[in-house]
Amino acid sequence: MMKPFATETEEAVVITHEDVDRAHDRIRVFDARARRGFASKARLLWLLVGPGVLVMLGENDGPSMLSYAATGAKFGIGFFLPFVALTFCMAIVVQEMTVRLGAATHRGHAELIFERFGPFWGWFSMIDLGIGNFLTLITEFIAIRAGLGYFGVPPWAAIMIALATLYAALMSHRYWTWERITLAAAAFNLIFIPVALMTHPRWSSLSHAFFSLQPLPPFNKDTVLIVLADIGATVTPWMLFFQQSATVDKGMTTKDIRFGRIDTVLGAALATAAAVATIIATAPLFAHQMSAGNFEAAQFAQALEPLIGRFGASLFALGMVEAGIVAAITISTSSAYAFGEVTHKPHSLNLPMRQGKSFYAVLTLCAVAAAVVVLIPGLPLVYVVLVVNVVAVLAMPPALVFLFMLVNDKEIMGDLVSPLWANVLSTAVVLLLTAAGILFGISVVAPNVFAALGGR
Amino acid sequence: MREKHDAPDLAAERNLVLSSLEHDQLVTAKKHRIGRRRLKGPELLILSALRLYLIFMMAVVGYQVWMAAR
Repeated sequence: MMKPFATETEEAVVITHEDVDRAHDRIRVFDARARRGFASKARLLWLLVGPGVLVMLGENDGPSMLSYAATGAKFGIGFFLPFVALTFCMAIVVQEMTVRLGAATHRGHAELIFERFGPFWGWFSMIDLGIGNFLTLITEFIAIRAGLGYFGVPPWAAIMIALATLYAALMSHRYWTWERITLAAAAFNLIFIPVALMTHPRWSSLSHAFFSLQPLPPFNKDTVLIVLADIGATVTPWMLFFQQSATVDKGMTTKDIRFGRIDTVLGAALATAAAVATIIATAPLFAHQMSAGNFEAAQFAQALEPLIGRFGASLFALGMVEAGIVAAITISTSSAYAFGEVTHKPHSLNLPMRQGKSFYAVLTLCAVAAAVVVLIPGLPLVYVVLVVNVVAVLAMPPALVFLFMLVNDKEIMGDLVSPLWANVLSTAVVLLLTAAGILFGISVVAPNVFAALGGR
Repeated sequence: MREKHDAPDLAAERNLVLSSLEHDQLVTAKKHRIGRRRLKGPELLILSALRLYLIFMMAVVGYQVWMAAR
């Protein structure tokens, strides 16, 4: 893999700080792999998990959790529980390809698109990524502001707390430390599980919904929007760029692909649990016929307070804050990776500040710019939240076709090209996402079509 | 041939890096560009169709936001 394109001349190899840090990480992996026994396998897993869990829990971000909360409040327990689990299966299919690509080529996603398909297509995908990431980052800071607002924290202080957390994670200038700090923060995404339990859900209704997909929602414009928002809450372009770049930065090789898959599935399982818990947590609002479709994070917490108490509502608000902070970290990192890959500037979380000025500058600038937008008074931010997941779904098919072509490129992938079953699944995902996008377009441009089909 | 780094034993570090990283993982190796592949007709068609799809759908999103804002 990649051999035809590696350096042909055995020129003097320059060893960089980034190489040394990555080598230390690899030594620990080799040590764990060389030993036998359950403890060594568990240690190997501990060393190799990271990008998959981070990308999945990172995607359970502010707008995603708001989408799940709105789903529970609008439709209660029913079709959307298994549907959300299905969307995460879709995310596994897609993200597994980025693990293989990263491990086989040791190149980031943006770099591969540029170098294999040229700047014309490369810039298109970068524009998609840049716009999507910036809009999503804005919504992360909206979620943080709204979540901390529940505790009476003023907006400027909430934004400063988020930026300080992002900066603290970066301070180590070490991928491993950054990854562990961000993973620790991401674990708080599971805070939605106790919140769901506090609502005392009926287990029989839950299992009925999972196995029968019932009750089905009405076929109308609102349902299409929620379907699209829930898909957009699990598969988005930044995830492709982030996981592949993080796989490369972590130093994973083809020997680690199995653990990369476990990492991805583990992340998807944890993210599904948190997403389903959020729907369950807000389902009582549907039962109480509360109109919560356009609620913000703090309003959901306030609406839940009479049902689950101040403590439960506080956990819900804290969950929103966590979702926003972790996603702000991962999404701004994905932008910085992509920028470095395209411009061939150093791009690694292992870089000291003086060697990775442009990488850290892009990362910080993306976060600060989005944070500043959120603080501008009077801006109609609610529209950004409404459309961000939809935009993510619409941008996915072009991004997936690039991924599909790269992962089937024998010149760079060698024997690790996708097997037939993986190609069938990923083609199905592309068709499903395109169909969902077209359905959304019809619902906006010609809403009467839905009425003609029996919807409202 | 090493960039600024403060560790004392350069040779040991060099050995550590060369023995634990694959050649393609080295920062130096990544400076070499990957060859460009030629897109075939059907591939170009799909990529162009999806680009048009995205541009059209973005206009739809813009229309939706405009309608909501009115």
